[in-house]
Amino acid sequence: MKQFVINVTPGPTFLHHLSGKTKVMLFGTFIFYTLMSFDVRLLLPLFILCLVALISLKPNWKVVIALFTFIFFMNLINLVLFWLVDPDVGQYYTTDTRTILLSLGNFFLSRETFWYLLIRQLKLMTSFMVSLTFILAITPSEFAAGLYGLGLPYKVCTVVSLAFRYIPDIANDYENIKISLQARGLEMDKRKLNLFKRLKDNLFILLPLIISSFDRIGNIANALDLRAYGLLKKRTYYAEHEPTKADHVFRFIAIAVLVFSFAWIGSRMIWPPVTQMWTPF
Amino acid sequence: MQKKNLAQLILGDWNTKTVVGVAIGAALFGVLMVYGGVKVFTNTNLTTAMLIPVIVGALFGPVPALVACFFGNVIADLIGGWGFWFDWSIGNGVLGFFVGLLPLYGADINKGVFTVKHAVIFALVAILGNALAFGVVTPLFTLLFFGGELNITFLQSLTGGASNVLVLTVLGIPLLFALAKRNASSQNLVKE
Repeated sequence: MKQFVINVTPGPTFLHHLSGKTKVMLFGTFIFYTLMSFDVRLLLPLFILCLVALISLKPNWKVVIALFTFIFFMNLINLVLFWLVDPDVGQYYTTDTRTILLSLGNFFLSRETFWYLLIRQLKLMTSFMVSLTFILAITPSEFAAGLYGLGLPYKVCTVVSLAFRYIPDIANDYENIKISLQARGLEMDKRKLNLFKRLKDNLFILLPLIISSFDRIGNIANALDLRAYGLLKKRTYYAEHEPTKADHVFRFIAIAVLVFSFAWIGSRMIWPPVTQMWTPF
Repeated sequence: MQKKNLAQLILGDWNTKTVVGVAIGAALFGVLMVYGGVKVFTNTNLTTAMLIPVIVGALFGPVPALVACFFGNVIADLIGGWGFWFDWSIGNGVLGFFVGLLPLYGADINKGVFTVKHAVIFALVAILGNALAFGVVTPLFTLLFFGGELNITFLQSLTGGASNVLVLTVLGIPLLFALAKRNASSQNLVKE
């Protein structure tokens, strides 16, 4: 199985050292900020901020660039589809005018549509950057601890941390089942089989994998029960530390961004209602 | 065992067993979503992950299936690293809820109760759930979050929904029959 993008051990940089709750708070508010705005003046600063944060995390750039290109082109294909189906798609979101930039036979690209598609791409990429920064800065245990810090019931948080604990076991089981099926004569070579046959063969591995995984519920649940899991109403997390000075600052920033977002929605979208985005023209 | 009321059936009882089951379900859902799919359309996969809510729902009920699907999708986003697309996580959660309604219409996999009647209801609910989750909920959230061209957004969601229905009915129903048969053999004592 390939390497995950999320780290399991905490990294060395400043952002890694923030507590789980702070990271989840920052992520939540910034994703909310991204989703509510369709405005280049709000999105571009965040995009640059995320880029700076990403650089400060010293990630494995090969993976990051591969992911970025993948997401970029996935969304680009989407945009081209939007444009092909309705070349006027931008008019609803920008201004009612139609200024043709270039035309190819029946198809044309108007300035409004181009602007709209550009901003949508920026918005999707900003949302992706916020997520990626968060994913690279946090570990699964911190994520669970952070969710608990925000008031989720800890049984739900356990789902997250336990699920991550279980993923290497799944990988192990998968390999074992694959090897034993190969020993019984199942062809696994990609070059020798067509797609449909390969799908069917994969199913032969997946069904035992799924069933054996669920068979283990009893054992794990007993082990947890023996350690008195679920006895008390509260829980502390080993991965979570006391908030430091930096944590307090960043939590304050997160709350400020949230307040700003609500103020923005209240003043820009609800009253007076504005459906059109800001344009330079 | 006394009969549970409706709220309990929907919520499931959140004991340690349920927590572990949902966690394993979420882990498998995440892994299968990343590694166990075939591309159908932009943003859409024919994924075997859809088998997970079937099992979690059958064992624990609709809300655990919802949690398993939502967090499974979040976990897939975390290990895949392609960012969070909550419109799809929410859609998957809603679908998980519908698929997990199994105990509500009398199917009880733990005791080996799963008949042709249940299979038909299951297929109908799967279609309905997909129509609602990917025909209404996900496109609405996509439009709310990102805006976009209505037709394409619906088309994407609906191909996702259609491929899910395919996996759920073609693979899910035989799986349920197999599980029920397996559990039935350990429950052959007759109460007198």
